Amino acid sequence: MRQKVIALIEEILNVAEGTVTEDTMIAQLEEWDSLAHVMIIGELEQRLGISIPLEEAIELSGVRELFEKAGI
Amino acid sequence: MRIGILSNVNMNMVVRMLGRSQEVYQTEGYGNELGILLNPQSSLWDFRPQMLFLIEDLMELLGHDIEPDNAKGQIARWFSSFEQTLKPDCIYYVSDAYLWGVELAAVADGGCKSALEQLWQQALEQCVGSHPNVRILPYRSMIEGLGEKNAFSLKTWYMGKILHSTQAQQAICQEIATKVALESRVPKKVLLLDLDNTLWGGLAGEADHTPITLSEDHSGLAYKNLQRVILQLQKQGVLLGIVSKNNRADAMKMIAEHPHMVLRPEHFAITKINWEPKNENIEAIARELNLGLDSMVFLDDNPSERQLVQNMLPQVTVLDFPEHPEDLAPMMVQAYKDYFQKSTLTAEDLEKTAQYQANAKREELKSAATDFEGYLKSLEICLIREDAVEHLERMTQLVNKTNQFNLTTCRYTQTQMQQTLEDTEKQVFLYRVEDCFGDSGIVAVVVVDCGGETPVVEEFAMSCRVMGKKIETAIVEDVEQTLLSQGYEALLGLYIPTEKNQPVAKLWEQLGYERLEDEGPIQRYRIVLANGPERVYFVQKK
Repeated sequence: MRQKVIALIEEILNVAEGTVTEDTMIAQLEEWDSLAHVMIIGELEQRLGISIPLEEAIELSGVRELFEKAGI
Repeated sequence: MRIGILSNVNMNMVVRMLGRSQEVYQTEGYGNELGILLNPQSSLWDFRPQMLFLIEDLMELLGHDIEPDNAKGQIARWFSSFEQTLKPDCIYYVSDAYLWGVELAAVADGGCKSALEQLWQQALEQCVGSHPNVRILPYRSMIEGLGEKNAFSLKTWYMGKILHSTQAQQAICQEIATKVALESRVPKKVLLLDLDNTLWGGLAGEADHTPITLSEDHSGLAYKNLQRVILQLQKQGVLLGIVSKNNRADAMKMIAEHPHMVLRPEHFAITKINWEPKNENIEAIARELNLGLDSMVFLDDNPSERQLVQNMLPQVTVLDFPEHPEDLAPMMVQAYKDYFQKSTLTAEDLEKTAQYQANAKREELKSAATDFEGYLKSLEICLIREDAVEHLERMTQLVNKTNQFNLTTCRYTQTQMQQTLEDTEKQVFLYRVEDCFGDSGIVAVVVVDCGGETPVVEEFAMSCRVMGKKIETAIVEDVEQTLLSQGYEALLGLYIPTEKNQPVAKLWEQLGYERLEDEGPIQRYRIVLANGPERVYFVQKK
């Protein structure tokens, strides 16, 4: 599942495979702006059934934290 | 193509996706689409968009007030503001409506959604009907195809007013890219069709032992539906031709009399039903219709015929033929979208088949008549001057689409054409041609610049449909006489050679003009109006 989530993030950011890892922080990646972030949260729910509550989703700072909130 | 996307919901992700392959206006926020359009100083107009896409979420636009009377007023106000912002040199696509909102599922009136969508649809269609540069973006069918659950996301809506899922955004991008491609390409003009196992199953002329397959059920219906699609193409001005190896009489009898034929003889602009090689027949068609091979698309079930045409006439587009009859109609719909679909239809297009049919008849007459003068006289050609202001769209089309008989190949946008009409130093002459076979429509335009000492014909374009009948002679004389009566003494004619306009390279000399020194690529010719030579033509002026 974690691999699927990373692949989905890379797809939405339109970056090469391998760009995103568990250690990636949102602030590090230029492509990961607020617009892309909203799309990632939306698509996690739509495609993978992973629902991160609104308030928490806005506060996320990195991939590892995302995994924790998603419970995966 | 420079495109802009405006919306009352957050479309920035769509802009970002499209920006990877298109030149896209970087939208500032969302929800101010009318404000941006109305403001002549907005960054949008600095960007000089050629196509604008307005994707409107109806629920947002109505502010969730779904009371029909209020909705009607709101929609009317939106369109009346929108129409004020329209610029003639930009193409607008406005989305049709899909009403979506969480509360809709709890509304007691089940017809509310479609009633409100219908209100938008009516206003949109009225807008499209009165503005030639406004078209419909099929948004509703796209959402329906995806299903609400896949198309919309409440989470992204709450987080950033992004209404659409990635899947829906991709579909929107796809739709926009299709429309951009549609507006950019030159549509094909002719669809050439084989008969046996193409328009029907089986072989015509062998009815005694193998009746053809064409009916209201099974694969017979698949062929009939193919014909129904082709008929729609014909109605939009695509010229149909038959290129088939049959006994002509058998085939024509089938077309005229078979109860399930949808396409009848009058739908075909030209027919080559014989045993000659198909590439030769297609070349003959190109000559007789006076159209390029690159404007033709060929459909044939026989792979060796397709191969032959592809090899001998690589300019012709050869369609892949599906293995199963049930795939025929969808294949043709796709071919329509890929090759024939046009952005706007003019009344001229709709009349085209009749005109080309008449032209083919004229060609027959020409090969029958032994002397050219007699032929021209028998055509009873009439030249009628038309008011240019009333036919702005056709005039722009004529100038921009004509390559062969175009002396200077100037291209004008509709706005520039409008400016030319308003310019008091310019005179525009627009002509319609009729003959004994029918009305050829508006086929020629001349623009004379009277700003200098001697007036100059800065543009002269005539449709290739009426070439070769000395109509141009009558036109030039009409222009000359008009100028003479206004007190001008001489007239200058210009010719700028291109790859395509060789047919008119000698026009001015043939009309008795004296060649002056060239100005770069521009050849210049002059005539003294009072001393024009005696010219022979057989055109009546009305």
